[in-house]
Amino acid sequence: MDPLTWTGALGVVLNPLLAIAAVAFVLSAVAQFVLSFAAPAPTLQAEADGTLARSPGLVGLADQAMKWSFGALILVLLAYLVGGIVMPYGEAGIVGAVSARFLPVWIALLATFALSIATKRSTGLYGKLFDSTIGMIGFGLVMFWVFTAVFVGLFDMIATHDPLQQIVAMKNEPPGTPVTGGPEGIFPHYLLGGDNLARDVFTRMVEGSVVVMQVAPVATVFAFMVGITLDLPAGYYGGRLDTVLSFLANLILAFPVILLFYLLVTPEIVQTGIPSYMAAVLFVFPLVFFAVLLNSRYYTRPGLRTPLLAVVLGLLFVLYFSLVNAAGSRIDIPGLGWLDLFDVPGGILVVFVSVVFVNSPTVFRIVRGLALDIKTRDYVAAAQTRGEGAWYIMLWEILPNARGPLIVDFCLRIGYTTILLGTLGFFGLGLPPESPDWGTTINDGRRLISVYPHPALPPAFALLTMVLGLNLLADGLREESLKD
Amino acid sequence: MIRQTLTGGPVHPAARIHARDALAGKLDRREFMARTTALGLTAAGASALIGLSAPALAQSAAAPRRGGTLRMQMEVRQLKDPRTFDWSEMAWVASGWLEYLVEYNNDGSFTPMLLESWEVSDDAMHYTLNVRPGVSWNDGTPFTAEDVAFNIRNWCQRDAEGNSMAGRFAVIIDDATGEAMDGAIEVVDDLTVRLNLPAPDITLIAGMGDYPACIVPQDYDPADILSTQKGTGPYLNVEHAIGVRSVLVRNEDHDWWGYAAGKGAWLDRIEFIDYGQDPVSWLAAAEAGEVDLVYESVGDFIDLFDALGWTRREVVSGATIVIRPNQLAEVDGMRPYADKRVRQALVKAVDNTVCLDLGYAARGVPADNHHVAPIHPEYAEVPRLPHDPAAALALLEEAGMADFEFELVSIDDDWRRNTTDAVAAQLRDAGFSVTRSVIPGSTFWNNWTTFPFSSTNWNHRPLGTQILGLAYRSGEPWNEFGFASDDFDSLLAEANAIADADARREVMARLQAILVEEGVTIQPYWRSLYRHHRPEVVGADMHIAYMPRLYRFGFAG
Amino acid sequence: MGLFILRRLGVMLLTALCLTFIVFFLTNLSPNLEKLAKTQGNFRMTDAQVESFLRDRGYLQPTIVKYGQWLGVTPGWVIEGRDGTVRSKCFGELETGDLPEGETNLCGVLQGNWGYSTVFRDDVGEIIATRLALTGKLMFWVMLVMVPGALVIGVLAGMREGSRTDRSLSTVSILTTATPEYVSGVVFIAVFASSAVGLRWFNGSATSAMEQATFVNFTLPVMTIALYGMGYIARMTRASMTEVMTAQYIRTARLKGVSFRNIVLKHALRNALIAPFTVIMLQFPWLLNGVVIVETIFNYKGFGWTLVQAAGNNDIELLLGVSVVSVFVVLVTQLLSDIGYVYLNPRIRIS
Repeated sequence: MDPLTWTGALGVVLNPLLAIAAVAFVLSAVAQFVLSFAAPAPTLQAEADGTLARSPGLVGLADQAMKWSFGALILVLLAYLVGGIVMPYGEAGIVGAVSARFLPVWIALLATFALSIATKRSTGLYGKLFDSTIGMIGFGLVMFWVFTAVFVGLFDMIATHDPLQQIVAMKNEPPGTPVTGGPEGIFPHYLLGGDNLARDVFTRMVEGSVVVMQVAPVATVFAFMVGITLDLPAGYYGGRLDTVLSFLANLILAFPVILLFYLLVTPEIVQTGIPSYMAAVLFVFPLVFFAVLLNSRYYTRPGLRTPLLAVVLGLLFVLYFSLVNAAGSRIDIPGLGWLDLFDVPGGILVVFVSVVFVNSPTVFRIVRGLALDIKTRDYVAAAQTRGEGAWYIMLWEILPNARGPLIVDFCLRIGYTTILLGTLGFFGLGLPPESPDWGTTINDGRRLISVYPHPALPPAFALLTMVLGLNLLADGLREESLKD
Repeated sequence: MIRQTLTGGPVHPAARIHARDALAGKLDRREFMARTTALGLTAAGASALIGLSAPALAQSAAAPRRGGTLRMQMEVRQLKDPRTFDWSEMAWVASGWLEYLVEYNNDGSFTPMLLESWEVSDDAMHYTLNVRPGVSWNDGTPFTAEDVAFNIRNWCQRDAEGNSMAGRFAVIIDDATGEAMDGAIEVVDDLTVRLNLPAPDITLIAGMGDYPACIVPQDYDPADILSTQKGTGPYLNVEHAIGVRSVLVRNEDHDWWGYAAGKGAWLDRIEFIDYGQDPVSWLAAAEAGEVDLVYESVGDFIDLFDALGWTRREVVSGATIVIRPNQLAEVDGMRPYADKRVRQALVKAVDNTVCLDLGYAARGVPADNHHVAPIHPEYAEVPRLPHDPAAALALLEEAGMADFEFELVSIDDDWRRNTTDAVAAQLRDAGFSVTRSVIPGSTFWNNWTTFPFSSTNWNHRPLGTQILGLAYRSGEPWNEFGFASDDFDSLLAEANAIADADARREVMARLQAILVEEGVTIQPYWRSLYRHHRPEVVGADMHIAYMPRLYRFGFAG
Repeated sequence: MGLFILRRLGVMLLTALCLTFIVFFLTNLSPNLEKLAKTQGNFRMTDAQVESFLRDRGYLQPTIVKYGQWLGVTPGWVIEGRDGTVRSKCFGELETGDLPEGETNLCGVLQGNWGYSTVFRDDVGEIIATRLALTGKLMFWVMLVMVPGALVIGVLAGMREGSRTDRSLSTVSILTTATPEYVSGVVFIAVFASSAVGLRWFNGSATSAMEQATFVNFTLPVMTIALYGMGYIARMTRASMTEVMTAQYIRTARLKGVSFRNIVLKHALRNALIAPFTVIMLQFPWLLNGVVIVETIFNYKGFGWTLVQAAGNNDIELLLGVSVVSVFVVLVTQLLSDIGYVYLNPRIRIS
């Protein structure tokens, strides 16, 4: 096998085009930026026939040039990706091969976008997202990693090798090196090269998305449930409950996050079982949340409520028990092993608990502010007059009306959690040392980054695009929800 | 006419036997040097015995100029009682004012320092130590035989917490009292000490050249050696901030014996700056011009330092890493590694060359899992258990441990972690179920001997029996393998008493075979050691056992 | 106002007490104490030796009693060890076994005694003072770069909402907030400091900056922290600026024909800067995170580095000192941001 070049046969045609488009784009962007300060703002001029004309001027010209060159740039980039999928393996170089590996993700993304845009008038805020370019780019970036995690984690696609497999000859080899010395029948190249321990960088990057997707969104959801369950009553009732809970939230917020992690995630503390107990407490909140949610809605219809509650709570309890109970840990109730469906690896659980713990108070603060605001609205007063219970009002009146800001914050918070996870990996806290998560791989790769940049850059790029996507998505959502 | 022995006395008969062996090719040169200089020969005299000219001086040809400040990257650790030192870095700081009786050299020979010479009797049961005349403490009082005797007695206090020198002088320690035997240490006159051993032991001089063997004054304070800083050496410590930096400056009021002897002590000031344990930071410091030399350069970073244009110093050594199960460790209420089959399975599943390539950038030679290096004088060639992953898995299944989850622990650093990762990956390839834990350096050493399955680095020792005695003898504090075998212990005692190389090698072969057969440890490779420094630094060659020799350091004139 | 500040100070004190107690509790759990005993004494100690080591040094008293002693409200311990030595918290080893006459046996934080660091073998107060000063130097330069930079970007972007300038600057600010320090720091070193790329404009190690900060050795750490915070403040400034630019009085000014430059500089800017002020204040606790990462990457031995060392080695009293300081910083900046907000914006009344 020959080593792959970056762009293969495609590059002969596309590379010069790419260069031209890029140079044109940069030049026009700079020109536009400079001119927008130097030249006067575009003026409107009344024509003789009564219409208004906008004099394009120099700025407008630069503007046009930028638009077109940007379009060309995107087209060329797309051509690389499509070329990789269409052409046989190896012809389109590393970029093409990587693109081809991501084929399931491209298909899923296309399907999602097509479906969403077709139905965007009937899907509320979600549909409106597709009116905003920023929002769509953000959504695309986020969904790219979501789909990657799904296909890698559940269907074992995309990844080319085993993330822990070491093939000695491949140590620190540059991207596109053919695999030598490995077992028969494996993927013929290390697409993005080998790391310091001769593992495939591409595989570790996509496997890393699974770790991030397992922890970040779920932990954020949990943090929201804890925050909401504790805080709607605080905001709604006010008074002493509010004072006490707010004090506690501020207490946790005043803690430097990094210190908290150092205190919670060390092996000694894990040995005492404190994280397990914290998990036992924190993970009760979703149960409480759903119990109250359903009960407050259906308590007038016991015939429906009782079985519904039993089923939902039963399921949740099994999940809860599986999550909290782990053989050999501090919480291991004898005789109930059959109920324990799965064990979360110790390290992940601790990280998970810490992340939830750190995030809940911020959510608490946001929801509290929203609840204070919304509870003065007329429809709340109307519900109170109807004689609805406090919990019904909180969960079925206030919460849905606070969803806009909450969703925006949710997106930002996932991004923040992703960065936090990376920080943990960076300090070697919690996650297992060979874990392919992005923080750990960046930290491993940084040691030799000056000679071998290829192991550290892909996970860094992945982390960057993911967080950037979440930020853009949040921006798009905020913009669109403000238009209401 | 060169002086053949340090004392000018007759040549030890064993030395002539060694010379014959060496000329007959039974003994290689460095082994010959190690054995004969330990018997009291001068290096030149020893060379002459086998018809070689005097070895070139270790110092570079360009004589250093006097003066200058040297900045060195090194971890700065808390100092304690020298005999309890467990890090060479501690000795580097202390060696500013505390010196050694003898010095171990990279070629395996021993050079006298505070001793002027020594003689070992034909049966290796009597040592005569001649103290260097004209040496004085930095408070002006003379250094005498009483001081030497005090230090040896001090080393022999077996029950002093953490005193690792006791293991090196075990032969003259009274089992009942835990102190030196009566009459074992005899002060003959002001400048002569005689050691009378109950059994032959050839390792004592080597023990005196190890890093915890600093010579302290009789009135030293074990709890705080920094407060008085009474010693014989040319420097004094003016700042010791743990984890940050430590500074030695020339003691202008002290007439160091080495000035007259032409030893050097060129530098006026030496700064040790702590950059943590991550080689990335060391490299960054070098690139930024914040240091003039590094304590050690490791693994992949060796090439990077080369690329900076720094001078590379290299020495082949017996320093190594062991990835070992602890046979006494309990996991889930049982002792998984007490079963020989499990240990053998672990050993068989690992290809040592792979560990060397991935863990240490192939800078060394593969080893055979018995912790005696080819450069040790008494090395016998004993093959390892063959690398055979299929057989390994079969053994594991036979032991009923196929489902067992091995937890492999290592320190968080560069090469030790990478080597351990490579072992973990190979075990997984063989079908074992392995999880890895990495523990930060700050906590790793708290229980390094008791982890059930972990990796540890071991430094070079002059003689193979020293290592076996420190690490594999039953009940030794540093026996991290939980290995206990009466056969092994008695064979080791036998080996320690044999002066003749070939006879000793036969015993060594049996000792090594026991370690291999029992699957005591995976010991994948021997490291070469590296140090880099700016081209203008001289005398800073890497020492095979990380010994500080600050008086040699200087800048080219 | 006075009452408000007083009440806030009360809450602050209570928060600090609770937090230090939590840290105290976590660091005094038995596995942590065992680790401490083994690092301090000898790592081959048996369980019995560990216990007597801890007992003789007062570690095995009830947590609340120990906490009181640390605070200086309960008398320091005096314990006769199994080896016969009498040790006391306040006066070290007592040769006679009696406390010195005429001195109170209280030596806690309230008496100005922050304790003794078991890792650095030095007085905690002194260590924190030295390290905090170093971090203060770093933060000073970070602020000097970050705040004006962020404000300029924010104002330029918010001046004409929706323009190309706005979009490109907003994208840049989002990009910097999406780049955590451990990514940007590493990339900076690779590009600007390593000999591999060959630029070598700056140093990848800031150790020498502790004594003498220069452009060469301090740029990268400062830029790494500043970039991450800059994006966030810039976005806040932009939001506040766009809001102000659509306000009635600006529209009036425009209709009156005031030049755009004058509108921005004379009318909009002052009001637009109120919100960023509070944000900048609230950024301080956030920056601490960045400080820890950057000080680790660049080997700058400041407060963040001390935190890592103390936490990694379970250095109880140093860790407590570190948490008191960081909690104090967080709470004071919160207070300042509240007061400043009220002061800058007279329309707000404290209820």
